[in-house]
Amino acid sequence: MAVCIAVVAKENYPLYIRSVPSENELKFHYTVHTSLDVVEEKVSAVGKVLVDQRELYLGLLYPTEDYKVYGYVTNSKVKFVIVVESSNTSLRDNEIRSMFRKLHNSFTDVMCNPFYNPGDLIQSKAFDSVVSSMMVQAC
Amino acid sequence: MSIPDYMQCAEDHQTVLVVVQPVGIVPEEEFFRIYKRIASINQVSIRDSQRLLYIRYRHHYPPENNEWGDFQTHRKVVGLIAVTTCNSAKEWPQTSERFHGQKEVFGPTLYDSRLLVFGLQGEIAEQARTDVAFYSSYDKCEDVEKRVEDFVESIFIVLESKRLDRATDKSGDKIPLLCVPFEKKDFVGLDTDSRHYKKRCQGRMRKHVGDLCLQAGMLQDALVHYHMAVELLRSVNDFLWLGAALEGLCSASVIYHYPGGTAGKSGGRKPSVSQAADAGKRHRPGALTTNGISADTSSEIGRAKNCLSPEDIIEKYKEAISYYGKYKNAGVIELEACVKAVRVLAIQKRAMEASEFLQNAVYINLGQLSEEEKIQRYSILSELYDLIGFHRKSAFFKRVAAMQCVAPTIAEPGWRACYKLLLETLPGYSLSLDPKDFCKGTHRGWAAVQMRLLHELVYASRRMGNPGLSVRHLSFLLQTMLDFLSDQEKKEVTQSLENYTSKCPGGMEVIALPDGLKLPPVPFTKLPIVKSVKLLNLPVSLRPRKLKGLLGQNMATKSPFIYSPIIIHNRGEERCKKIDFQWVQGDVCEVQLMVYNPMPFELRVENMGLLTSGVEFESLPAALSLPAESGLYPVTLVGVPRTAGNITVNGYHTSVFGVMSDCMLDGLPGVKTSGCVVEVVPALPRLQLSTSLPRSANSRQPSSGEEPSSSVSVQLFNGESQQLLVTLENIASEPLETLEVTSKMVNTKEKVFGEFLTWDLDGALSQLPLKPGQTVVLTVNIKVKLDFSGQENLFQDLNDDGISVTGLPISSPLRQVLKPRAENKPMGTESGKPEYNQVKMLEAVLHFKYSGGQGQVEGYYRELSLGVHVDVEPSVFFTRVSTLPATSTRQCHLLLDVFNATEHELTVSARNNQDVVLHASECQRMAIQVDKFDLESLPEPDEERLRFASPRQLEEERQQVQGCRINAELGLVWNIISFAARTGEASVEGVLNQLVLEHLQLAPLQWDVVVNGKPCDCNIIAECSVGEMVPLEVRLTNRSKNAVGPFSLNIIPFQDYQNGVHNYELQDAVTFIGSNTFYIDTVKPTEDCNCAGALLFLYAGDFYLNIKFQDDSSCGRDLPLAWFCLPNVHVKAVDSPF
Repeated sequence: MAVCIAVVAKENYPLYIRSVPSENELKFHYTVHTSLDVVEEKVSAVGKVLVDQRELYLGLLYPTEDYKVYGYVTNSKVKFVIVVESSNTSLRDNEIRSMFRKLHNSFTDVMCNPFYNPGDLIQSKAFDSVVSSMMVQAC
Repeated sequence: MSIPDYMQCAEDHQTVLVVVQPVGIVPEEEFFRIYKRIASINQVSIRDSQRLLYIRYRHHYPPENNEWGDFQTHRKVVGLIAVTTCNSAKEWPQTSERFHGQKEVFGPTLYDSRLLVFGLQGEIAEQARTDVAFYSSYDKCEDVEKRVEDFVESIFIVLESKRLDRATDKSGDKIPLLCVPFEKKDFVGLDTDSRHYKKRCQGRMRKHVGDLCLQAGMLQDALVHYHMAVELLRSVNDFLWLGAALEGLCSASVIYHYPGGTAGKSGGRKPSVSQAADAGKRHRPGALTTNGISADTSSEIGRAKNCLSPEDIIEKYKEAISYYGKYKNAGVIELEACVKAVRVLAIQKRAMEASEFLQNAVYINLGQLSEEEKIQRYSILSELYDLIGFHRKSAFFKRVAAMQCVAPTIAEPGWRACYKLLLETLPGYSLSLDPKDFCKGTHRGWAAVQMRLLHELVYASRRMGNPGLSVRHLSFLLQTMLDFLSDQEKKEVTQSLENYTSKCPGGMEVIALPDGLKLPPVPFTKLPIVKSVKLLNLPVSLRPRKLKGLLGQNMATKSPFIYSPIIIHNRGEERCKKIDFQWVQGDVCEVQLMVYNPMPFELRVENMGLLTSGVEFESLPAALSLPAESGLYPVTLVGVPRTAGNITVNGYHTSVFGVMSDCMLDGLPGVKTSGCVVEVVPALPRLQLSTSLPRSANSRQPSSGEEPSSSVSVQLFNGESQQLLVTLENIASEPLETLEVTSKMVNTKEKVFGEFLTWDLDGALSQLPLKPGQTVVLTVNIKVKLDFSGQENLFQDLNDDGISVTGLPISSPLRQVLKPRAENKPMGTESGKPEYNQVKMLEAVLHFKYSGGQGQVEGYYRELSLGVHVDVEPSVFFTRVSTLPATSTRQCHLLLDVFNATEHELTVSARNNQDVVLHASECQRMAIQVDKFDLESLPEPDEERLRFASPRQLEEERQQVQGCRINAELGLVWNIISFAARTGEASVEGVLNQLVLEHLQLAPLQWDVVVNGKPCDCNIIAECSVGEMVPLEVRLTNRSKNAVGPFSLNIIPFQDYQNGVHNYELQDAVTFIGSNTFYIDTVKPTEDCNCAGALLFLYAGDFYLNIKFQDDSSCGRDLPLAWFCLPNVHVKAVDSPF
């Protein structure tokens, strides 16, 4: 399962970032932050070729020694980033996809909340619990 | 080979390497000057071959890298230029020796070398040597470039000969095996005759020849050789060299495709697109035809085939790198290949693939790296990421490099370098150090990493020994990241900020860094947060007012309409800037800020003051201490404008945690302001008011807003007067030149009789102009006259005597009217008592309008107001008023039921009358004989009043004037016995009703009866003698406005027996001479009419004459009866003495 899940706004600032508590949180901030380069590159590359049938899932953004970073971008350019451990080989592309889909659904619910201002940090408990279900259970 | 050259790029493969080095002692500056001049010769076109030779200069080159020269010839040092200083011939041998020593280092690979000697003159310098050039000084070496070009040409000759030599090696000859340093021991004892070995030798040689061709400017041949080398080496699985051959192929293709170079900024290569392309095209390498292996190198088709497409370049690079990756010792080669490939990809704008190469490069292990090499490596990674547009990644590596500069393992941490590198990462984290970029809306950025970076900047700048920078960065951190700091962090940050500022206070100046970066000041607009700014009007008493006339003029010019909504809209914007009140020069002005402390602890703000422009302004700074997480907290900043004009409040300055900030309002988000421009009018005098009566707290105020600045209160009994001394002191620096006093009643539900406040201003005005510090005293008389008689229903019992007030003559005026009322019942019940005892309140405001100085010239004045509050307690009042006719028609009796509403015993006296003593709550009737009043003669109200007042008002006014007159005539005064001093007037004004007034009024028809030449009135007894003719004259004076008459009067004599019996049968006692009836013709206004007759009394005695109207006069009926009030004439007839 994921060790870090982040939602990044269109303007590339974090709306939500959560990582396994045992790890150095700042490290994940850096990981997600630098992954945005790749996201932007991929999005712009996709934009050139196929505008309409865009795939939201961006796939593996980049692997590091310990982690794999996956990206997903919504039509409104909100980015989801999921970091999983490289050692976790059980996760296939399909599982990552479904995680993103779940995340997207939950995010849509957050946006539907009339009391949520787009652009604010996400503080929804429902969203939090969805994220928790996808995170590695710290033991 | 362990030291990678990160600056390498693909086209470096076609260069020859020349090392330029100082020998002996050469000033660094001079050396680099010469080095630059040498390095400018980086491409030389060879005279007779149209080829271009590219030269790469290095001033430092590790000899172990040179050992890889066979592997890739561009790594081989082929030329050496030594620069040396030699001042005397004596030093020459030593210098020469050193030069040779230097040559030894790169000895085996050098094609040629040169020595540039500076400073030597004389014999030695004059000898012509090809390998040594002498210059007298560093400034006189014009032909250095020429020398270098010659040198390059000589290198080319060697290169070309080598190339030809290698290329023409017959396959039959033994081809030597080229190898890299770490391979040497692997081939010991190998069978050199096997096909496999031969192929390996051949392949490697091909590759080598390809390198040489590339260097010699024969791109086409190089491609062919590389292709063949690839085939050969692939067949023998010689992966390292296969990789090198592939890379060579890539390099050659890159050179072909991208003649502009891939190095980007470092591209010292002259842009020679056509030149490079032409060089490949035109060149016919005839020399190669003898080569047995050579194929159709001359065909254009072949070249297109041989050259890799851009996509293939990357594929081949990948392949090459994967082969390099098999050898641990080839790490540097692999790394450099990665870098080269990234540069190519950057040109191709294929960032994703480039990032993969870079990712790979990150993991290449080069064994033990020194810290410096690590820094270099991270920096170059950062640069490359930047090149492909991955700014965040670039910033990440730059930051890592910065951290590496100060790694704990380094003995002397390079804080400066670290700081410099950190600054370079700012754009990558989308962070600018200008707080203005952050004030718009909420913060949009990756706060966690930005905060980290700022912390690091603070730390680095501190370690650099520049506390000013630390303060600036820390202020910036606090200002921009406040929302993201936890409470604990806020505490820590502010604590360290305070620590720093104790050494170096923060200010508003721009800090310029040596490398040109400017750090703008960081005003703490969030410490505290200002929510609204409101300029306050002066207190009412100090507000300047424009004289009416001038104000009207102003209004008139703006618009012809009194009111128009359109104008309001137009003015809307203007108004939001300029506020419609004024401040006064020299007077303290206030601006109210609503501030909020976002910190979890008490915030001390010092030296908080206003920033203004427009007029000279003396700001009086305040210090405040805001409690933790305070709500909105009002803060008033004050200052004194020193000149007149328009003042603009631009912002405020604070000093928080030792950092001075100038916060401009227009840069603040979400600040509500009702305008910041206000007019300052010239100085005006200022009056301070003190009174002889005690001040009262401003209790309740009317909602009109015009509240008096102070007020006095006093308690008085109704009818009492009191003197109020008002002392005015001029406390400003301007002289007081004009003073006006007016008064205005407020809350006048009560009817007030007479003037409430009166004063005489002349005394005060004579003292003007009032210089600063002087005082003037004004005496104001307070007089209260209210009507308390509204509660008479309580006093029914006084009406029981049934006195008629119809005014018909009552024959006996002597009846007792002063009935003692000793048996009076106690008045009212307990509950009823407060009703009549209620205190009435009277309020008025005294306005003092004053002006002077420059402000008066401009048409401004000030108004000071003093509220006068009087609680009026009832004293005496009249519960009932009636009249009785007196004996004289010119007089009448006024009956007053006087009630003492006080709790004290008092006396009431009227003019010329005896005192009546009244106990508390006692009621007595007193009768006062008064002359009737000629009320008609009172002045008529003027025309103006007549026009505007309603008839009702006029009537009221008239009554008031009449009442006043009557009151003055009566002079009713009460005196409380227990307080000797307290006396007051008792006023009847309120109780006079129309009927009473009518009775008190002189009738318009004035009847005079003259008996025996003597005017006769009620109490006068006319005497006459019996038997004599008594002339009787009746005169009618018409004072009414209309003509009256005609009347007929009938005179009836009678005798009063004083027992109620009147005897009218007097035909034999009295006789008329002539008629007993008089006829009066019409009398016009203001005229009079006399009619005369005569009587003859036959007997002595007391007679009365009753003059009656004959009812037959029809017009007489219209007039009120009271008008025909003729006196009873009393005639005493006496026997005439004989």
